[in-house]
Amino acid sequence: MTIALEAVALTKAYGSVRALDDFSLSIPAGGVFGVLGPNGAGKSTLFRIALGLVRPTSGSASLFGAPAGDMTALRKVGAMIETPRYPPYLTARDTLSMLALESGTRDADISGWLDRVGLGGAADRATNGFSVGMKQRLGLAAAFFTRPELVILDEPTSGMDPAGIQEIRALIVDLARKEGVTVILASHQLDEVRRVCDRVAILSKGKVVTEGAVGALTASQVRLRLVASPVEQVLAVLGDKGAADGPDAVLADIPRSEAPALIRALVNAGVEITEARWREADLEGVYLQTLKSSGAA
Amino acid sequence: MFANAIAAERFRLLRDRSTLFWGFIFAPLVGFFLSIAGDVFLRQLAKKPLTGMPLDLVGQVLKALGSGASVFPALFLAIGAAAVLAGDYRWETWRLLTPRNSRPHLLGAKLVVVGEAILWNLVLTVGLTLLAGVIGASIAGKTLVVSGSGAGLGQIAGVFAVTWLEAMTLASLAAVIAVVARSPMGAVVAVVVVRFVQTVLAAGLGSMTPEPTWKTLAIPAYSADLLRGFLAAPNHAGL
Repeated sequence: MTIALEAVALTKAYGSVRALDDFSLSIPAGGVFGVLGPNGAGKSTLFRIALGLVRPTSGSASLFGAPAGDMTALRKVGAMIETPRYPPYLTARDTLSMLALESGTRDADISGWLDRVGLGGAADRATNGFSVGMKQRLGLAAAFFTRPELVILDEPTSGMDPAGIQEIRALIVDLARKEGVTVILASHQLDEVRRVCDRVAILSKGKVVTEGAVGALTASQVRLRLVASPVEQVLAVLGDKGAADGPDAVLADIPRSEAPALIRALVNAGVEITEARWREADLEGVYLQTLKSSGAA
Repeated sequence: MFANAIAAERFRLLRDRSTLFWGFIFAPLVGFFLSIAGDVFLRQLAKKPLTGMPLDLVGQVLKALGSGASVFPALFLAIGAAAVLAGDYRWETWRLLTPRNSRPHLLGAKLVVVGEAILWNLVLTVGLTLLAGVIGASIAGKTLVVSGSGAGLGQIAGVFAVTWLEAMTLASLAAVIAVVARSPMGAVVAVVVVRFVQTVLAAGLGSMTPEPTWKTLAIPAYSADLLRGFLAAPNHAGL
């Protein structure tokens, strides 16, 4: 299996602050990988190190097996880190032409890409008049137009309107699935990550707290939802493993194997159970629970 | 890779009209209009054509090239060089470029393109000086003279090269300051101050010690003036 991005015992300190702290992660090539975490978790620092924009304090990062910052590996990578900025006197078309020259790409379909990200009508406008959303779109075109094998996107849809967000999500999925581009995506929008990513890593305080397939992560945090009466009695039996979910339901945070015993205990205690159903946590629940467990939230 | 970086940087500068005009076109234009204005003023003062007064085109070009990197043109060259060299710090666009080419290539390409722009700035200076000479002669009624013919071309080429090198020492300083200070303004101020100090030192030390010494030769403006003087009049230079 080809590894697109690998970090081994990576540490980056800015003075006394450790943006990455003995951070290790291996992202395989193929599909869309989501990187989640609160502000300051180390997402952008990881990307900056991978792209050779900053040097790690210790540890190592590699792209396709080559050391981070290696130009041969970087030729396989497109990136958009934070809100992209452009020389203000260049038009959108000129910006892509300049980047094509910079990377030695001779056959880039610049007009096609500008159309694809919805900037066909603004191709010959100077970028200093662009809205944040337009700059994001141009950043996406800049990341993808040289046909890289790996694209690193940091908050790719921030500042975009809902229709634009949908378009860009569809574009990312399309490129990843149909054209085999590996996409690493950092986002605060959990819904976006859930819709787009195959696997995710949740970062907190410069470390990976959890990592896995989106489906596996949500399935690992299933809870038993009981519609029962009286609710107070159910909560009393469950103790700190129970939480009210509306006026007539309780969420029980127990393993599947304990469910029969719990239901027996509740019935014996005179509780009337009208529904019992396993409910998978959504990604937001997993995210918040993971951060809570790691002490970050 | 380096050729790619140069091509991209050249592409950018050709679209940055403001930098092109103020950095590399404005100073020769000022020289051109001042020269014409001088001839108009002279014609008004004399109230008749200055028939018989010679206007040596080679001499005019040598003079214009000789001051091509003096304090006033240096100010504008510094503005142009700083815009190219520190523009990516100003616009925060390094992030866009560094994953596509190496930093040494990107910085080296900027210096190469500034060098090209200075070259074209000096070519423009020569062209506009010749044009101003022809227009000025017709306004004031002077007689155009081309001294030296073949030797004149060699002199012009030599003075051109010396002035280009002198300007490139300033551009290199602008590059260093741009990287260290990450500010176009810092680069402009440093270049102008250094060029001004060079002028003062060259004049002061030059008058104190008529023969060149290692101290005076270490001042680029002094060395350049000495070389230009030698190229223009080999028998009269202080070498």
